[in-house]
Amino acid sequence: MTISRRTTALAVLAVTSVLSVAACGGGGGTTGGSGNGSTGSAAAGSKGGTVFWLTKRPAEHLDPQRTYIGRDLSIENRLFYRDLVSFPVGKQGEEATKPVADLATDTGQSSEGGKVWKFTLRDGVKWQDGKDITCEDLKYGFSRGFATDVITGGPNYQLGYLDVPNKDGLPTYNGPYKKAAQADFDKAVTCEGKTITYHFNKPWADFPLAIASLRSFSPYRADQDKGDKSNYAVFSSGPYMLQGTWQKGKGGTFVRNTNYDPKTDQTGRKALPDKVVITEGLTNEIINQRLIADSGEDKFAVTDRAIPGSMYSQVDSNPTVKDRSTLVNSPFTDYLLPNFNSDVMKNPKVRQALAMATDKTAYITALGGDKAATPSKSIVNPELPGYQPNPAFTAPDSGDTAAAKKLLEEAGVPLPVKIKYTYSGGTPTSDNSAAALKQGWDKAGFSTTLDPLTDTYYDVIQNPNTKSDVYWGGWGADWPSAATVTAPLFDSVLNGVGTNPKSNGQDYGNYASDTVNKLFNQARNAATTDEANSLYQQADVQLGKDTAYIPLSVTKFYYLHGSGVTGYAQSAASNGYPDLGSIGAKQ
Amino acid sequence: MSEIKRDVEFGAGTAQETLAPEPGATQEKAITGRTPWQLARARLRRDKITMVVLAVVALAIVLAILAPILSIIGVLDPETFHPELIDGNTGGLPLDGGGGLSLQHPLGVEPGTGRDVLSRIALGMTFSMTVALSATLITVVLGTVMGLVAGLLGGKTDFFISRIIDMVLSFPVTLMLLALSGMFIDIITKAGVPAGNPSNGAYIVLVLGLFGWPTIARIIRGQVLSLREREFIEAARSLGASNRRIYFKELLPNLWAPLLVYGTLVMPAYISAEAALSFLGVGIKPPTPTLGNLLTYSVNYAAADVTFFLFPAIAIAILVLSFNLMGDGLRDALDPKADR
Repeated sequence: MTISRRTTALAVLAVTSVLSVAACGGGGGTTGGSGNGSTGSAAAGSKGGTVFWLTKRPAEHLDPQRTYIGRDLSIENRLFYRDLVSFPVGKQGEEATKPVADLATDTGQSSEGGKVWKFTLRDGVKWQDGKDITCEDLKYGFSRGFATDVITGGPNYQLGYLDVPNKDGLPTYNGPYKKAAQADFDKAVTCEGKTITYHFNKPWADFPLAIASLRSFSPYRADQDKGDKSNYAVFSSGPYMLQGTWQKGKGGTFVRNTNYDPKTDQTGRKALPDKVVITEGLTNEIINQRLIADSGEDKFAVTDRAIPGSMYSQVDSNPTVKDRSTLVNSPFTDYLLPNFNSDVMKNPKVRQALAMATDKTAYITALGGDKAATPSKSIVNPELPGYQPNPAFTAPDSGDTAAAKKLLEEAGVPLPVKIKYTYSGGTPTSDNSAAALKQGWDKAGFSTTLDPLTDTYYDVIQNPNTKSDVYWGGWGADWPSAATVTAPLFDSVLNGVGTNPKSNGQDYGNYASDTVNKLFNQARNAATTDEANSLYQQADVQLGKDTAYIPLSVTKFYYLHGSGVTGYAQSAASNGYPDLGSIGAKQ
Repeated sequence: MSEIKRDVEFGAGTAQETLAPEPGATQEKAITGRTPWQLARARLRRDKITMVVLAVVALAIVLAILAPILSIIGVLDPETFHPELIDGNTGGLPLDGGGGLSLQHPLGVEPGTGRDVLSRIALGMTFSMTVALSATLITVVLGTVMGLVAGLLGGKTDFFISRIIDMVLSFPVTLMLLALSGMFIDIITKAGVPAGNPSNGAYIVLVLGLFGWPTIARIIRGQVLSLREREFIEAARSLGASNRRIYFKELLPNLWAPLLVYGTLVMPAYISAEAALSFLGVGIKPPTPTLGNLLTYSVNYAAADVTFFLFPAIAIAILVLSFNLMGDGLRDALDPKADR
């Protein structure tokens, strides 16, 4: 989800062709650090030691089929959930987002123009209890994604592509718990020995990219499945396994999985440290202060929390700290979502006024300025193929108070318009960025209440009954294609808006438009990428007209890591986050 | 008429006393009856530091009252971001050296946002002092009532209230305040206080007030214990005065002095408590400015932007110091025999 997802933007290009790589800078040009691309402490890593991952936001799910946060997707793939194919470790540029065989013997064979995909499992791949990973485990894992009443939060591509009968645009198959139309599913996904075959209702050329990017297609052992109770259970197929239990909001410790055989793994996972400790609930300020100090265990720490603006001068003025910093273009963009279930936001003029009054310059300033983000004109990252600025957003970057006031007057609502803005908060940076938006809106005639969520975030806004008027969102393409931005976010049918009382999927604003849904469907069935891109662009134009979202900024990752970290890398393969596949602790 | 006359006499007397410390003749002239209040005021005027401090406190109160009004009419602007005044390359440090001090922004601009520091400190004082004052009122009222009742009724009531006091005093207040904030803020919200900062503020006020009263209650109880044996109370009793009369007409007027003194000493303690709690993440949340919020944020810039770091700290220091000195001064004036 959000800030979740990935894109590999850069690499992206590569894969899909087109854009020149120079623009994107590969995994991101580093400024401070050792050099280019993804950077790292050069020393060759050796086995042993402990690596620490310090962060703030709690993981909302460790269930592979429910994970959709870019950071967690990457950590899971590198540590404990292997997939048929994965992105390679230690590659840069376009190579980084070219899937390589992982659990499978190759990267898949497609037939019927991409409608049928076949993968064969490798010999010797095992679960943490020593049992073999089977084709049935893969099939069971995939089937869980259809139980949208239990397995909430995850991606929804499976709903649109699998060749099973549909009703009202959704498959009649509803997952392994209720098992309605199980026979249809069994026909669409078949096992012959170690070979699994997926049948889709339309060509899906990007299928291996989807497997490598998401954890939707990860195997899952049926005897380990307790439905919603398995949300934080980790049953490992990778080099590490969870020690004890995961404590939400605190984190967990991962130790070596003795049943993992590195000989079966050709993705380049180095599995250097003996332990990986993930600590949640620290603020950006504390994390980065500790990384600047670089003492004790913090020498072996990495983070996914950007350096706050208040510490830039400390980093810049100290060469030994600056050497440990990296500045990378991330796949993510920030945006706002009017909640279409809120009475006041149902008025299109109010939404337009909100967009008009939004002060992106102040927002970015509060995030930390040029090293934190740049203003955006669309929800799509400019580095993605098929990007175009959304023509609906005509306001200058710092907003247009007068025009917004006028729109509000035309809206015919009593002033000031009371709105509640819900965002992932609790740090000075996030609270200031919310205050930046508030002051712009309040000047134009809104009266904004700020609602910072300090614990899990997407969980809350995925509930269609949450009472708020505007949400913050951050999104990166799942893989380098416009198909993975607006469609997963605004397709109301696949997201179950109006049909699923518990979750709006990724359509957090509860936006529903037949026009847009139809364009998405046409785009999925389009014969060429160009045609698909142009249909996605049309959909984006319509989204702009409806003010389904308000673009804010394109995110950069300005990170620090400890001096004892080896093999440090941030690349498109790890969604721009530190890549645990190569990171080790200096011995 | 008599009012005016009294004032004139009083004024003259004070002036004399102030100007001419005790040559015998003068004293004899001034010896005409003065109430304890008059004596206290006279003592106060002689105390230069307290007079200065009183002026500072008065100024702070006026500023705190005016700040919201000035913000509405636009003289102060604590909300507007000024990206043009700060440098995006350095994480938002003010472009002009020295924290962005200028005519428009006499105390500079806030790094990272460009908001006017003076406006934020002024409005921050409003919120901080509102919280501190409300908590002080609860403390004083509750402490007075409990102290009066315990002291006057004695016996089992006294025993009972004294044990409550012991119990409350032994609570680990700060710890509870942090640990229970989520739960109690929910309760406050459900009780009808608007969610968000009104509830957060109410929580701080309630906790400070509800855990702060025992000290005052003990002092009042001690005072009452000695007062109730005095002749005027006995006289009132023997004349058949009701309890109510004894509470309100006989005892309370004699307790004003300690109440005023301890009230003014509790207030600065609560101002610093609010700041400390903001730092620990409880209380009114940004972007609403309180002195605590400003200080908490400014600590991030201790190295990068010293002026910004200093101003909120100085504001709190001046405010707390003034209230403390004022309390001390009042004690010296109202209750000269009290131990320091």
